[in-house]
Amino acid sequence: MRNMLLIAQREYMEQIRGRSFKISTVAMPLLIGALLGFSSYVGHKATTGKHIAIVANDASLADQVRRQMLDDRYAHYTVDVTAPASGEQRDGLQAEVRTKAIDGVLAIDSSNRQKITATFTSLSVGDVSVYGGLQNALNRGVMNERMIARGMSEADADALLARVSIEALQLDKNGKVGKGNGGATVIKATLMLMLLSIPIMLYGLDMARAIIEEKTSRIFEVMLAVAKPSDLLAGKLLGVGGVGLTQIAIWVTCAAVFMGTQLAAALLTGDIAIRFSWTEAIFFPVYFALGFAFFSAIFSGLAATCETSQDLQKFMWVAIVPLYTSLGLLPVMIKDPNSAWSVAATLFPLTSPYTMVSRMGMTAVPFWQIGVSVILLALATWGILWFSSRLYRVGILMYGKRATLPELVRWLRYS
Amino acid sequence: MPVVELAAVTKAYENKVAVDRLSLSIDAGQMFGLLGPNGAGKTSTIRMMMGITLPDSGRIELFGKPFERESLDRVGYLPEERGLYRKMKVLEQLVFFGRLHGVEAGEARKRAVDWAKRLEIAGSLDKKTEELSKGMQQKIQFIGAILHDPGLIVMDEPFSGLDPVNAALLERTLIELKDGGKAVLFSTHRMDQVEKLCDSICLINNGQAVLAGKVREIKSRYERRHVIVEFEGSAAFLSSDEIAEAKNFSGHAEIRLKEHGDAQKLLHEAADMARIYRFELVEPSLEEIFIQTVGGKANA
Repeated sequence: MRNMLLIAQREYMEQIRGRSFKISTVAMPLLIGALLGFSSYVGHKATTGKHIAIVANDASLADQVRRQMLDDRYAHYTVDVTAPASGEQRDGLQAEVRTKAIDGVLAIDSSNRQKITATFTSLSVGDVSVYGGLQNALNRGVMNERMIARGMSEADADALLARVSIEALQLDKNGKVGKGNGGATVIKATLMLMLLSIPIMLYGLDMARAIIEEKTSRIFEVMLAVAKPSDLLAGKLLGVGGVGLTQIAIWVTCAAVFMGTQLAAALLTGDIAIRFSWTEAIFFPVYFALGFAFFSAIFSGLAATCETSQDLQKFMWVAIVPLYTSLGLLPVMIKDPNSAWSVAATLFPLTSPYTMVSRMGMTAVPFWQIGVSVILLALATWGILWFSSRLYRVGILMYGKRATLPELVRWLRYS
Repeated sequence: MPVVELAAVTKAYENKVAVDRLSLSIDAGQMFGLLGPNGAGKTSTIRMMMGITLPDSGRIELFGKPFERESLDRVGYLPEERGLYRKMKVLEQLVFFGRLHGVEAGEARKRAVDWAKRLEIAGSLDKKTEELSKGMQQKIQFIGAILHDPGLIVMDEPFSGLDPVNAALLERTLIELKDGGKAVLFSTHRMDQVEKLCDSICLINNGQAVLAGKVREIKSRYERRHVIVEFEGSAAFLSSDEIAEAKNFSGHAEIRLKEHGDAQKLLHEAADMARIYRFELVEPSLEEIFIQTVGGKANA
């Protein structure tokens, strides 16, 4: 126990004093914030401020559609209307799309009043939100036009078609109703997944690299004369895990201080009005600690079988597959955080360290699911530690070449 | 009570028996040499003594008790494969090793500084290990092995990689430790050092002890069949029928007699042909005993 704690202390102090800890503590939140901010900005830019030309054979209908488009306060369209439009005018506008003078042409054909059709021509066909906005404006414009045609005043038609918005409310475990925000939920879920997965991966791989380096420098032979292999591994896990928890504590403290400032109040509005619950604050470090122990135990066992960092690269899929799976499941969880897939992802030990805290931000996860998830992850960590410590015990004294699968099986049997 | 005792210890890996029913015993205040060709089983033996690997059969006792990890606090170990934390400062590293052996941090720091002065590396204590030469690193590792004042010091090839000046410094230090009552065991290929330093040896080959005992007794077991002659005149006596092999260095000859060669007869023949200043029957060196014993049986 004494030596395990000494080893943990050495690992902790060496890393805390290191330049990479200081850089990553400052750089990682900035980088993640910048990435989220940039993608949000690019997404906003991509769907707003479009310059659209409407061509139609009915000037009144075109004007109604234009009015609806300009009424969309998020889209900020610039709309030109050419109605009725000749073939030459249509060709001219399409040429402007090609030269990017305008973003697109919405052509409305109302020659058959019973079956109005429309096309939208642009350089990009993938902008779903632009199509959604245009579709909405066109339908509302057609309805307005039809009401006016039946003798209703424009004001009455507008009053009938007045928008009704839905406010999202979220019920927590105690039955308390809070304001929900879809955009903020997506940002928060992504943020939590990144803040958990990046340190777990980085510290886990860092530990694996340290094992290979120590194996190469032959320090293990000295250490094994004073400490048991299990103490060596446990000390390393404790020390490096402690560094990760310290980093998280620094981030949480800074975030808490920042949240109390006026700057945060000004910045964190609308879609990025992110709030954290106590449950999330408690389980974030729990899932970090268990996730780190789980993945680090895997990496440590594998690293002990490797001779060089290049050998370790061959096992990178072990780190990447669970991470990509979790990222892939994120949209599924956002769509329905209580679906079978969402529950499975937060119970399965390979993905639960990344996904559970994200899911907690989307819905009130039942306590039994959190309990089962933690127990499964702890049991899996224990099992992996059992295997890894056996590989580690033999592997750290094996020099010369990367172990083959039959050799690994023999190591497990011998130790 | 022996400080370390191995009784019929055996260790096998896959299809190879690395150590085969090996027995040896070392007392306090004794310097013990573990000899053998490459792959003979020296490192395997040492690793079992240190609890790094476990014997398949046999008994290992440290300080009169069956092996237990707690006893390792009284053992200093310098493995063949040197290893230090490269990014750590030397003094911090030494204090860390001291604390791992149960020495309180302040005391470990004091001892580290004292030893660094004795081994002439005090100026490097604040440097990172990676900034030092291999020889310097070896001295640091040596200090790390003895900082906790162990009763038994185990060293695998301690002189390899050291220049003659530092090798002599290490030799002096080991003798001081031995005189201070420590049991010292080391493995080496350098027979001159064994001859100079060791009280007892165990020569192993293919995992088995082929020669063991006090150096003096071992050497006395071998017949004196080596002759050193200093002469002036004809060297024709070097082709005598009594001689198996002779090396002539103009006036100084080193001769190995045949198995039943007669030294007296050779002396007469030499005196007939040359003026003899010195004719001495000498005991074989450990190196000759090593080669003679292991001979073609060595694996290396």
